[in-house]
Amino acid sequence: MSKQRNTFITIIVLFLIGAAMPYVLKQYHLNMLNEIIIFALFAVSYNLLLGYAGLLSFGHAMFFGLSAFMTAIGIIHIPGLSLWSAVLIGLAAAVVAGFLFGGLLLRHKGAYFALLTLAFNSLFYAVAIKWHSVTGGDDGLSMTRPDLSLGFATIPLAGLNYFYYLTLVIVGAAIIFCWYFTHTAMGKTVLLMRENEERMKFLGYNTNVSRLILFTFTGAVAGLAGTFYALHFQFVSISAISVDMTTAVLLMTFVGGTGKFWGPILGAFVYIILQNYLSNITDRWPLFMGIIFVIMVLYIPGGLSQIIISIWERFTGNKESNGEVAEEKEAVI
Amino acid sequence: MADIPVFFLHGLAYAGLLFLVSAGLTLVFGMMNVLNFAHAAMYMLGAYFSYSIMMHATGQFWLSLMVCPVILFIIGALIERFLLRRAHVHGHVQELLLTFGLAYIITELVKWYWGNYPLAVNIEGFLGSTVPIFGITYPVYRIFIFACAAFIGVVLAMILYKTRLGIILRAAVNDNEMANTLGVNVPMVFMGVFAFGAALSGFAGVIAGPLLSTFPGMAQEILIDAFVVIVVGGFGSLGGAVIASLLIGELQSFGVLLFPKLSMALVYLLMAAILIIKPSGLFGEEQ
Repeated sequence: MSKQRNTFITIIVLFLIGAAMPYVLKQYHLNMLNEIIIFALFAVSYNLLLGYAGLLSFGHAMFFGLSAFMTAIGIIHIPGLSLWSAVLIGLAAAVVAGFLFGGLLLRHKGAYFALLTLAFNSLFYAVAIKWHSVTGGDDGLSMTRPDLSLGFATIPLAGLNYFYYLTLVIVGAAIIFCWYFTHTAMGKTVLLMRENEERMKFLGYNTNVSRLILFTFTGAVAGLAGTFYALHFQFVSISAISVDMTTAVLLMTFVGGTGKFWGPILGAFVYIILQNYLSNITDRWPLFMGIIFVIMVLYIPGGLSQIIISIWERFTGNKESNGEVAEEKEAVI
Repeated sequence: MADIPVFFLHGLAYAGLLFLVSAGLTLVFGMMNVLNFAHAAMYMLGAYFSYSIMMHATGQFWLSLMVCPVILFIIGALIERFLLRRAHVHGHVQELLLTFGLAYIITELVKWYWGNYPLAVNIEGFLGSTVPIFGITYPVYRIFIFACAAFIGVVLAMILYKTRLGIILRAAVNDNEMANTLGVNVPMVFMGVFAFGAALSGFAGVIAGPLLSTFPGMAQEILIDAFVVIVVGGFGSLGGAVIASLLIGELQSFGVLLFPKLSMALVYLLMAAILIIKPSGLFGEEQ
């Protein structure tokens, strides 16, 4: 009971800190923070696949990019489209794509699944680059954020501050929903399926259906992140749907740590900050990210969150003996 | 329809290239159960090394065709011995992540050293000339690519099915623990196969250089096509790789002729169809 209350308090405190940020940070940094929040959601959705279900996908950017493009296309082609409808269009596209392609991709597991997701990501990329009349091809699409209509009032989102609050509330809520999802029966099913699928089948679970639901869900969450990415930059380039974007989310998730729910959030922080500062110093920053990634794969498979936890344990001297934590540690694969 | 022989031969040349890349990939997968994402990066390294060799020793195409596979054999062996073997303990996901990370690093290194723009490799002498064939004049070089691929395919098949080494390799594929118990040095075999796959890929890179341009995106381009070859042909099947390479090479080539707008999607459509009808691929064993 007290654990639940602690979590509740933590969430409230984090939101309050987030709400205070526009008064503390400069516009440049607030912009960066907004980007971090969006990518944190993207990374969290990726970790639901990689960390919780043990599915290594190299095609997560297809949902992210698809939603980003659908949102931008909606705003450009439908005059007077409300913000909510634009978000819904993006989300719906990701759900449909997740369901259809999930059915196809999940016919295989392991290395085969990884290969297929990469191939389908390339298909999405190829379509985006060739279908110039709709996606703008290499030029990308630029648009203006519509204002937020609440029914009784209209909030202008052209400036960053209000849009930041919208992101904080919606994307933050989505992250919390993902966290909640991992504690539902469905979330537990996925976790147990990774550990012993055979047994879950014997217990009467239809593991294929569970996996498809999870895949569609993570696709939708990635789609929401993509929608906000489009709204944030007010511009969508084909890089949003490229394999490079998948690589980025993979690096964030893995560097942050797949074993903990908050690992990918930390990873998004580190990645975006490194991207912003290292790219000022050297053009070669992706090389450094790659080297960090490979070192982590070889020596610290739990990522930064593993380091933090082991330091924490050394200081406090007590291992977290909660059963759930031990279970989540197993998520380090 | 005078174009048909041209496009047919174009398709054959690309099929040859695809086979060289996917053969190594499918061998390594069949044997070690590792999907090597860095495989195409080896191909790219082969092309770039060849470019550098031919810059310093003009026109020494044959020299680079000999030297580059050797360099990549060594690189492959080192990667297997010091990186992949370490990741192997942590399981499959870790291995995939490692090869993916290596591909990423190699691509960045290539961009750093050689620059992020296409480099042209020119071929001279007999290979750079044209010959009359099927009533058209056709570049010798493309025929040469197909001949190389066919030659290597035959040699591979001979080694795998006619020699003692082939028996050991196939035994290691089938049940590596049993092979290990029977006195086969399985880790050594794995290292050899991985290094050989890298060398094969490097060889493909060298001959791809003059055909396609040498640029940092070339690895990803061929990787996707090689993946499609593996999906269509069936995992770990050399015969499947041959048929699927031909199929995809010709499909790409005629796709440009018949449906210029859809040419890229055709390959994926074929893959999706195979996935729906026969998920294990044309020649793959049922899982």
